Amino acid sequence: MDLKQKIEKHLLEVQKPSRYIGGEVGSVIKDKSKVDVRFAFCFPDTYDIGMSHLGMKILYSLTNARENYWCERCFAPSEDFEAIMRENDIPLYALESLDPIRDFDFVGFTLQYELSYANILNMLDLAGIPIFAKDRTPELRQIVMAGGPCVCNPEPLADFFDLFVLGEGEEVNLELIDLYHRMKQEGATRLEFLRAAAQIEGVYVPQFYHFVYKEDGTIDRLDVDEGIPTTVRKRIIRDYDKVYYPDNFVVPFTEIVHDRVSVEVLRGCIRGCRFCQAGFIYRPFREKTADTIFAQTKALCENTGYDEVSLASLSTSDHYDIDNMLTKLIDYTAGERINLSLPSLRVDNFSESLLNKIKKVRKSGLTFAAEGGTQRLRDVINKNVSEEEIMNTCRIAFEGGYSSVKLYFMMGLPTETDEDIVGIAELAQRIVDLFYSIEDRPRGKGVQVSVSCATFVPKPFTPFEFEPQDTREMVEHKQKLLLGSTKSKKIKISYHDPNVSMLEVILAKGDRRLCPAIYAAWRKGCKFDSWEEYFKPDLWLEAFADCGIDPSFYANRRFEYDEILPWDHLDYLVDKAFLVRENKTAHESKTTPNCRQRCSGCGVNKKVGRECFAKSKSNV
Amino acid sequence: MQRVRATFEKKGRAKYISHLDLNRCMLRTFRRSRIPIWYTEGFNPHPYYSFALALSLGFESSCEILDFNITDDEMPMEAIRDALNAVMPEGMRIVKVAEQKQKITAIAKAEYAFSLVTDDSAGLYAAVQTLLTQPEILIEKKTKKGIKTVDIKPDTEVLTCADTGSSVDITMYLPAGTQTNYNPTLFIEALRQTTDLPFEVRDIRRTAILCADNTVFE
Repeated sequence: MDLKQKIEKHLLEVQKPSRYIGGEVGSVIKDKSKVDVRFAFCFPDTYDIGMSHLGMKILYSLTNARENYWCERCFAPSEDFEAIMRENDIPLYALESLDPIRDFDFVGFTLQYELSYANILNMLDLAGIPIFAKDRTPELRQIVMAGGPCVCNPEPLADFFDLFVLGEGEEVNLELIDLYHRMKQEGATRLEFLRAAAQIEGVYVPQFYHFVYKEDGTIDRLDVDEGIPTTVRKRIIRDYDKVYYPDNFVVPFTEIVHDRVSVEVLRGCIRGCRFCQAGFIYRPFREKTADTIFAQTKALCENTGYDEVSLASLSTSDHYDIDNMLTKLIDYTAGERINLSLPSLRVDNFSESLLNKIKKVRKSGLTFAAEGGTQRLRDVINKNVSEEEIMNTCRIAFEGGYSSVKLYFMMGLPTETDEDIVGIAELAQRIVDLFYSIEDRPRGKGVQVSVSCATFVPKPFTPFEFEPQDTREMVEHKQKLLLGSTKSKKIKISYHDPNVSMLEVILAKGDRRLCPAIYAAWRKGCKFDSWEEYFKPDLWLEAFADCGIDPSFYANRRFEYDEILPWDHLDYLVDKAFLVRENKTAHESKTTPNCRQRCSGCGVNKKVGRECFAKSKSNV
Repeated sequence: MQRVRATFEKKGRAKYISHLDLNRCMLRTFRRSRIPIWYTEGFNPHPYYSFALALSLGFESSCEILDFNITDDEMPMEAIRDALNAVMPEGMRIVKVAEQKQKITAIAKAEYAFSLVTDDSAGLYAAVQTLLTQPEILIEKKTKKGIKTVDIKPDTEVLTCADTGSSVDITMYLPAGTQTNYNPTLFIEALRQTTDLPFEVRDIRRTAILCADNTVFE
């Protein structure tokens, strides 16, 4: 029985079977016999989540644009189908050809979130690929690689991967596949290929790097094999306006999380919020022109048939030509009956005619990421949102008929005191009071202020990379304090599970000694850790204990400025000296202006060899 | 405005598209084709189209019916068909576009074909014959009001039943439409209750949608 028959025999026994069989509009089918290199793009979560990922859409189309390379998709099966796969010897397969991914040249994962790490091990196991890189064939095939934001500290996964790609993949992925194609024809071995790949800028091959630790557990030094670069610099696209962007997406049958056209409008962020990893690892700030954004939107809508578009970026409002860009887009989408969604848009300085147009298409609720409860704390984290702005926007919204507001905060931020926690409740209360002070407020229903509190997770390559995370006791105290300080029934408080944030920080700031612990956790049954119903924190703690890992060494210890960090050999263009400077400035409760106002000297412009901004527009 | 009726196939991997997903899939297909489909009026205009019958997940079909309206009175039927086929998903193809001759309520039955794969096809064939000679075939059916027991015997018309040596292949008519809908799985369920012989159901297909007089619904 061939694999397709085996799959189909059981497909009707599982939830949403169309996730496991491919055949969607926009998926790329090629003739195997005419393909030289096969790439399985693996997303370590289910189809519904993974299919929403924009990076996969870009790299999928980009690779498939080359006639002799074939990139296919692969996702983690849900529990019901995984059981069937294991019972019936169905190896993990790619959705286009339905061929097992263990027979592919590349098996590439995207690391979007620390809590998906156990899924990677589970997928390799389901695929029948040795989980540890050292156990894989000496032949040149089955190269297991990863890219994505979490690759900025890949050490906790170093033992499982042959190589990591740092930074933006549009160029380096093809360089890597080209190299593989050439060396495969020459009959090279896996090791020969990896040595050559390590010479490509942006490619990190962990097996050539060896950490030596001090008695106290911190890093003493990093030994690098001869002929291998001592630091690896991330890749960036220099001409971002011209970079490849797909003109078609795979259109799923089943509903996915972000089921719409997504158009990337800018990369990087000028804001410099000190907790935000994306704000630092995606530098420099680059923008597409309004014409490019419009053309890409139109092509994607026409080719996919979607009737919804969303703009993707860290902060769309910071686009240099936002007025013109939105005017163009709204004129098109309104005429085509397409719904344009504009997430987290600051509307403060738009022209009146544009504001009126936006009002027509905007249906989403009102959301503020205030992050900190007091102005002092917001200054510490460099989140330049003032209470005045929040109040003004709320007033306009309430007068316009809105009656609910969502506020996002973090708990456990550096320098945070009880006063800052009480400040969250007070801010929410002032919004409730504001609502009732407005004459023409919406009648008939009361106001609803939803406060969502996450636990702060310090991340590599941010000014807070040195910071410890609050212990569980501290978090629980603060949660109680917040609940006790909230008086009004109009305010709804919700939390994230502090256990999730603790695992997140350990995996984010961990080193190579965590590899056996991740393996042990997976063996104990951990997977889908980002899904509340699957998350088993006790098993993780057991795994850490079994492997002699003290979680607090990573989670609750302050990393020293002069300490060698597990990610110091990776160069994300932002200088460590800048991060130290920003950390000190944070502790003085001082803000740093955004990049458009004044360069704060993060070092990116020097390494890229050009200024980030020419007058007001970025050097696209 | 032209009121048109498309007949389409749903085969291969497309059989795993659920009815709900098919709805969304057709909306996007219409948009990709850029044919001038008529939108409803009112607060939230949306393209108007409807499927005559729902098809169970996992069934193939050569005869699904999709009704919609076209604002361009001059657009030839072949042009509509070709524009849609150019952008249909794998496994789905419009075989015919024509005017709507009959009302949806004229649908009375549908023809199904399927294979029951077994090691003992002679035994299973005999079991099917035994089931068919029973005075009634009682089976529990899920309805909106809960589970009720129905006798499907009077409405089950077996057209062919063949022992192929490795399977028993059956074609039958079952009631379909706005009044009563029987799914061939009801018959298969009844068979499982009368025989211990293991068998696997393969390739359930809907092959025709018919009026009460057995003529093809158009």
